Amino acid sequence: MGNLAGKVALITGSGDGMGRAHAVLMAARGADIVVNDLRADMAEETARLVRDVGRKAHVVACDVADLAAVRAMAADGIKALGKIDILVNNAGFGQRALLPEITEQDFDRMMNVHVRGSFFLTQAVLPGMKERRYGKVVNIASIWGMTGAPVASHYCAAKAALLGFTKAWARELAPWNIHVNAVAPGGVRSGGPMKLDNPEILKAKEEKVPLKRYCEPVEISYAVAYLASPEADFVTGQVISPNGGEIIVGF
Amino acid sequence: MAENSNSLAGRVAWITGSGRGMGRAHALLMAERGADIVVHDVLKDEAAETAEAVRKLGRRIFVSHEDVRDVAAIQGLVADATKALGPIDVLVNNAGVGQHKPFEDITEADFDAMFGVHVKGTFFCTQAAVPQMKERRRGKIVNISSIWAMTGAGINKASHYCAAKTAILGLTKAWAKELAPWNIMVNAVSPGGVLTEMPIKTQGWDMIREKEKRVPLGRWARPEEVSYAVAFLASGEADFISGQQISPNGGETIVGI
Repeated sequence: MGNLAGKVALITGSGDGMGRAHAVLMAARGADIVVNDLRADMAEETARLVRDVGRKAHVVACDVADLAAVRAMAADGIKALGKIDILVNNAGFGQRALLPEITEQDFDRMMNVHVRGSFFLTQAVLPGMKERRYGKVVNIASIWGMTGAPVASHYCAAKAALLGFTKAWARELAPWNIHVNAVAPGGVRSGGPMKLDNPEILKAKEEKVPLKRYCEPVEISYAVAYLASPEADFVTGQVISPNGGEIIVGF
Repeated sequence: MAENSNSLAGRVAWITGSGRGMGRAHALLMAERGADIVVHDVLKDEAAETAEAVRKLGRRIFVSHEDVRDVAAIQGLVADATKALGPIDVLVNNAGVGQHKPFEDITEADFDAMFGVHVKGTFFCTQAAVPQMKERRRGKIVNISSIWAMTGAGINKASHYCAAKTAILGLTKAWAKELAPWNIMVNAVSPGGVLTEMPIKTQGWDMIREKEKRVPLGRWARPEEVSYAVAFLASGEADFISGQQISPNGGETIVGI
């Protein structure tokens, strides 16, 4: 198939979980990948998986909350692989805390990684996209960005902010043929749910999903890869939510 | 393996209104990706052309000209198509009609025709296809709605069309929940401006060029750009997606969360 042949994708937080799945799928479809993660060893392992499918990988281990590092990453990625056609703002983390428990430090970290990191990295890769009059930005939100949750309000708001960027950037960047969309996953068998939940809790959660399961990380990657491909060149400002029917929202 | 995850090989896809326009584009893309196609259109010559194009791609076809509003005929169609091609895996409820009329001028006949094709047709085609999907615990329904379902039509004045397309979103969401226990996924695709023969003929290029200026991406889509969304939702890649909507609209319609 290879509908990403000749493209370069920068995927933040691609050292494991969904980010790694995005990197491997997009590489299998022909893209070279700038692998970013806080954890250098995890990023290197993803890079190895990318090279295993025959694509180039370049690792930049940095914290997306560090704006100087984010700007340097964009420059470094472009130097190593030539350009950045696709940006997947995937880096993120969860924190199960209630409103009274969320400290200023918790709040700032949540916003810095999800919101400021995505904002300023997108700003940094934009000039090349504008110059080529083609680009794809895929922001990873969450069903909790649409519906809220009884916990983690700072996470819900950070993910909602990514939906706000998605819609505003879609309009602002359309004149340069840059397409901006969001993927809002529901339950995924990676990261938080696998680490934090014991099998009984996970099973109970899956029971609440109409399709009665959480998905594998690659099932999120399919939506990301679709939006990143030329097949979605008329799709911008939209949200795809692979969530097993758990969240069916308004228009 | 990952590269071929969008394959529809071995699947049977029934696409209503596939004689021309977007329906034909869906048929051809899905055939390219390996599906056998139930070509269904009241327009016989157009259906024959689509069927020939599918056959040239090496896929099998079953052709029907039944009116989607004829519930008994649709049940017969499903029985005959299944006999010819095997059970239906994918149903694309694409058949539709357009009509531009101010509210006061829409007659009872106009109203009934609009809701008959879009809503009753979608409802009973799906009802006819679902039993075998339930039996096999596998199925994909893709309902074709429109950005006008979300926004209304403005100067184009087609409130019966808008509401019929909105009803299709209602069916999408309700069926996604009701049919999930049988692993049947139901989603909608809501196109914006698409360059099919119909608007080119009825509106003309001057008006289309004018309308394209209002689209943030500055253009209307080629029919196959809608088909990519339909084929994605029909494939195994979208097995965790149900009750959702993809709107290829060039940024014209960006709505709530």
